Amino acid sequence: MWEIISKALPQILEAGFKYTVPLTLISFFFGIILALFTALIRLTKNNGFFIVIKLFFRFYVWLFRSTPLLVQLFIVYFGLPYLKIKGIAPDGIKLDAFIAGVITFSLNTGAYASETIRAAISSVPRGQWEAAFSIGMTRKQTLKRIILPQALRVSVPPLANSFISLVKDTSLAASITIVEMFEVSQQIAAENYQPLLMYSLVAAVYAVFCTILSWGQGKLESRLGVKSNMKGSDN
Amino acid sequence: MELEEVSKSYGNHLVLKNINLDFQRGKVTVLVGPSGSGKSTILRSLNLLETPESGKCLFDDLIIDFTKGVNKKELAYVRQKTGMVFQSYNLFPHFSVLGNIIEGPTQVLKLDKKTAIENAKKILKKIGLESKINNYPEELSGGQAQRVAIARSLAMNPEYILLDEPTSALDPELELEVLQVLLQLARDGQSMVIVTHNMSFAQQVADKIVFVEDGDIIYDGEPEPFFKNNKNLRITKFLSSMVLK
Ligand SMILES: Nc1ncnc2c1ncn2[C@@H]1O[C@H](COP(=O)(O)OP(=O)(O)O)[C@@H](O)[C@H]1O
Ligand SMILES: [Mg+2]
Repeated sequence: MWEIISKALPQILEAGFKYTVPLTLISFFFGIILALFTALIRLTKNNGFFIVIKLFFRFYVWLFRSTPLLVQLFIVYFGLPYLKIKGIAPDGIKLDAFIAGVITFSLNTGAYASETIRAAISSVPRGQWEAAFSIGMTRKQTLKRIILPQALRVSVPPLANSFISLVKDTSLAASITIVEMFEVSQQIAAENYQPLLMYSLVAAVYAVFCTILSWGQGKLESRLGVKSNMKGSDN
Repeated sequence: MELEEVSKSYGNHLVLKNINLDFQRGKVTVLVGPSGSGKSTILRSLNLLETPESGKCLFDDLIIDFTKGVNKKELAYVRQKTGMVFQSYNLFPHFSVLGNIIEGPTQVLKLDKKTAIENAKKILKKIGLESKINNYPEELSGGQAQRVAIARSLAMNPEYILLDEPTSALDPELELEVLQVLLQLARDGQSMVIVTHNMSFAQQVADKIVFVEDGDIIYDGEPEPFFKNNKNLRITKFLSSMVLK
């Protein structure tokens, strides 16, 4: 058994570092930027043309939260080649599997994380806005200096959860031909007829990855002082 | 600073009924009255945290007509001239005491950090909190937190400081340390508008008393005749209810 493991493990790890890790990191990075942007747009006041933009982002969040991630991957990778747009993409939109993965995972993460960030921003007491306004800060300054730093502390735990989910969700990329860890374990299992061992092994590798990340999350939280309560700011 | 025929409602509940008030430079105006009478709304309108539907706010040469709304320039001007101190302090929890005080001067007034810090230290010395300069708000007592909030406001050099029940959240012994700071500021000639339920403090600090009831100004004048031999039944009733407390 150890012989089989010692042969398979390096291949699985290689796939992990070559695909799973970059896919997760890149998607999470873009996802968070998209989430922050979406949350800020959705929190703007209802004036004029912003209503249309807000509706668009609301639709985006709804769409990605109400459909399965696997289906989203299939649409982007297998479906878009059939979307033929005259002038722009007459032969359909054909994406490299990795790019399709990054796009889908980013959009999906962005939709969920935007809700987290939006809730965190709303959770900062109104008195904080007013205190900042009363010393003459503008909306933008208040958001940047006073509200977002407090909101981000609140959102670290749920965002870390999203990140850990994303690590595991990248296993779905196997279905769009990306040879990440799970795909590699499937290939090996098909050769050596050891599905139980191979899938347990890849499960263990995911577990190790996630445990390391949880540990990092704890470090980050204590550094940001997430657990310390913030008093005297309620209205 | 003056309010002229100002009205404000929430939904169809009229909370300020065409009020006229003026606030003298270098003087302390104290607003008293029952809960829900509109005192906070008056203060918040002076700081433009609320915008009344009608009436005017006069500030030196600037006249803001509320029916026309408030533009950014007017907003910046008024916020520069007035500073608000809240009942619940509303200190920025992620900044130290020093960080709270220099935030406005560095971000809004664009002072360089060194000058802002020197200034902050002077103010902290005045209110007796130099030793807390590097502490965070959560490490302060209520009285200390409120004094830091006053310092944060002072650091912006506002002409008027508006204080909305600054000691209502405090235990009596902590209340005293805040009131002493306010008395000192009053002696230094700082213009203030204070909402308070502490009548002996009001009597001691006020240059002018304004009694608000149900969105109306019932009394606007000297403290002396307000507290002694007042003939207005509603005011005497209010005053006796405050004493019984
Ligand atoms: N944001 C708000 N929405 C609706 N009603 C409000 C709001 N703020 C204050 N009010 C109402 O306006 C009236 C005056 O309130 P306020 O100015 O806070 O009184 P005071 O400070 O004298 O206790 C009260 O009846 C209160 O319920
Ligand atoms: Mg009030």
